[in-house]
Amino acid sequence: MKQTWIQTWIKFQRLIKLLVAIMVVFTIHLAYSAPNLEIDTPAINALKSSMQARHGQLAPFYGSGAIGLTSNGLIAVRDAKALPLKDRQGINALVASENTDRSKLYQEIAVANGHPEWGSSIQDAFAGRWIDKAQTGWYYQAAGGWTQK
Amino acid sequence: MLYLATLYPVILYVVKQCGKAVVDNSVGTFRKALLFALLILNQSAFAVSSIEMRIGSVDAPVGQLKDTKLHVDLKGKKPKLNLTAAVKPAAAPDFMPFKLVCDTLFSEQLGYIDCFDGKLTSAVMDIPFSLHIAQQANQIALDVLFNGAKFSDAAGLHAGEGLIGDIQFTANKKQTGWQWRSELNWEKGEVFWQPFYFGDAGSAFSANGFVDAKKIVVNDAGLIVKDVGEIKANAAIDAKTKQLTDATITAKQIDFNGLYTLLLKPTLEKSAFGNLTVSGKANWQFQIKNTQPAHFELKLIDANIEDQNGKFSFSHVNANIPWDYDVAQNISLAYESGNLLNLPLGSANLKAELNRYALTTPELVLPLLDGALNFKDVSAAWLGKNWFWHLRMDLTPIDLKQFSAALGWPAMAGHISGQIPLVTYANKQLNMDGAMTFNVFDGTVGMNNLRIDDPLGVVTRLYADLTMRKLDLGVLTRTYRFGAIEGKLDGDVKGLELENWKAVRFDASLQTSDDNQKKKISQRAVENITALGGEGTAAALQRTFLRFFDEFNYDKIGISCKLRGDMCEMGGVTSTPDGYIIVKGSGIPAINVNGYNKQVSLSDLLGRIKRITDSNTNVIVK
Repeated sequence: MKQTWIQTWIKFQRLIKLLVAIMVVFTIHLAYSAPNLEIDTPAINALKSSMQARHGQLAPFYGSGAIGLTSNGLIAVRDAKALPLKDRQGINALVASENTDRSKLYQEIAVANGHPEWGSSIQDAFAGRWIDKAQTGWYYQAAGGWTQK
Repeated sequence: MLYLATLYPVILYVVKQCGKAVVDNSVGTFRKALLFALLILNQSAFAVSSIEMRIGSVDAPVGQLKDTKLHVDLKGKKPKLNLTAAVKPAAAPDFMPFKLVCDTLFSEQLGYIDCFDGKLTSAVMDIPFSLHIAQQANQIALDVLFNGAKFSDAAGLHAGEGLIGDIQFTANKKQTGWQWRSELNWEKGEVFWQPFYFGDAGSAFSANGFVDAKKIVVNDAGLIVKDVGEIKANAAIDAKTKQLTDATITAKQIDFNGLYTLLLKPTLEKSAFGNLTVSGKANWQFQIKNTQPAHFELKLIDANIEDQNGKFSFSHVNANIPWDYDVAQNISLAYESGNLLNLPLGSANLKAELNRYALTTPELVLPLLDGALNFKDVSAAWLGKNWFWHLRMDLTPIDLKQFSAALGWPAMAGHISGQIPLVTYANKQLNMDGAMTFNVFDGTVGMNNLRIDDPLGVVTRLYADLTMRKLDLGVLTRTYRFGAIEGKLDGDVKGLELENWKAVRFDASLQTSDDNQKKKISQRAVENITALGGEGTAAALQRTFLRFFDEFNYDKIGISCKLRGDMCEMGGVTSTPDGYIIVKGSGIPAINVNGYNKQVSLSDLLGRIKRITDSNTNVIVK
């Protein structure tokens, strides 16, 4: 009789542990649910169209290797010498404007997801996306430095 | 030979009949070694077929030289010189290969050297040239023709390509230094010297000055730039730090477009003035004292300025903008006409005081259409690379008909007026304390608590509260072709938030004013309001006897929307179990218009309104 009581108690304890474990997993799932990177707001749309308009100017510079994608989701001048002299003048301002837009985009996506503190992890997620989407021949920053795709 | 050996005892030499001179472990300077070779060249009595020298290393304040190998081939009619070395300029981290070739070398007279078909090559330059040097006791004269030269620093930020031209340089030794004079003619090629790009050759430069161990002085520098004009300059450069300590640059009656493209645009890339089309004449002066900007002056003479992004334009601009680090200056800017965000500006004459990094003025009047923006007690400061400013503003009433036409809006009658006690701009945020009033549709629209974040940025956010009182629905519905409604309308939009000029949040409610008035709504307006509920709902009305009436009396019209993101939580005059009443009819025949969708997408709703107001067709009542 006593043993049966102990067995019941042990079973009850296991059940409680299982419930707690389920609750913990559920809470973790809620707390760390993935951000929606495709979320749409007027601010995000404005940033995307600003970046789209600039892409036409940047595309030949990615192609020539003058600029490349950095490991933190931004872009940088990789080799100004790959550009004709007349194009070197505007490249820094162009890269700076693109990076301002990109940083704002990551922050706006975080805000739109209701988690402004997610900005840096969204930036990390985008860093990988940009490199995946990059065309063959473009440069990106890897552990060993600039790498051609 | 003995004479030479006495002159350069540290240089070991061997001259053989087969012709070879080897110089090793020189502790003298490179210049001495080169002179040695040239002295040998001058001694035509030697039956030497080639000379070769090797110098271990040379240290000089400007850099280091090592593994220097000089070879002079004397076999042909004219000697050929070939110099290779590893050179490391003082600022460079590593040695880099360096090669100088002279295919035709003359040095028949001591102190005179001619090098034709020369070429200077290294990692950072490739310069085909011809050179004439005349060196006397206290004078050196240099004449260099370069043909297709190119150079570049490692980062490519200071570079030239395809350069054709010539440089003449003379220097006379004085007690404490050298007096020099230089002329440069640049016929072809392009240069990028960050952030400036000189793409169009045809320029000439001349200067003279003095150089000693402490400083390089440039006097009477004259730069004639093609398509710009003449720029004159004086400057002093610290010989050790290479920093520009003092300079005065003056340009008079030069082409403003040339000045802007060449010198101003590159420094304004990130500002609102970075993408302009300009014309006219300009005078420009810039002064540096003790390495700091001390004085600046820009005069514009009958200039035209147009922003390529379409934000503003000014024509027939005459401006005098002096700036001084120590003394406050009065600036003035006048234009005959202009355009600001598509709104036409009338002739204006603006004056202000510029005191180091602060601008103040009691009043600026910007005529706009038939009225004016009057800025009062304007105060602006440039601190930490940001502008901070505040002002008071009132409006000389502006005709709304012209205003709406200028912005491409439906024609509206009325006028805009208002007084704003304080507008401040700091940290890219514009705040307005006080109300701006728009007298429109025979009523008023007041704007309160206006705040705009980053007004010139990509993501602009606007916050405001709007209060509408006694708008005449007759005028309003005729303007927007909505179908006639008679009556007056009140409304409140609280917590309005625009993101990139699109509404993302507000609590709005519009309802008919509480006073005795004629309250009529036309058949078409009823159909249009009903149609807002969704496609096809208007057809229901057509099936009832009500289609025989042109207009109906109403008691109240009311609609509310609580917007969050793109979703509107809708409401009306009152709620019903399955929706809300938008139009509450009265008298006979009475008609109620109900809304059933409590959640409506704002973009859908605006799309429907646009379709209704765009369709200029009459509703057919059968």
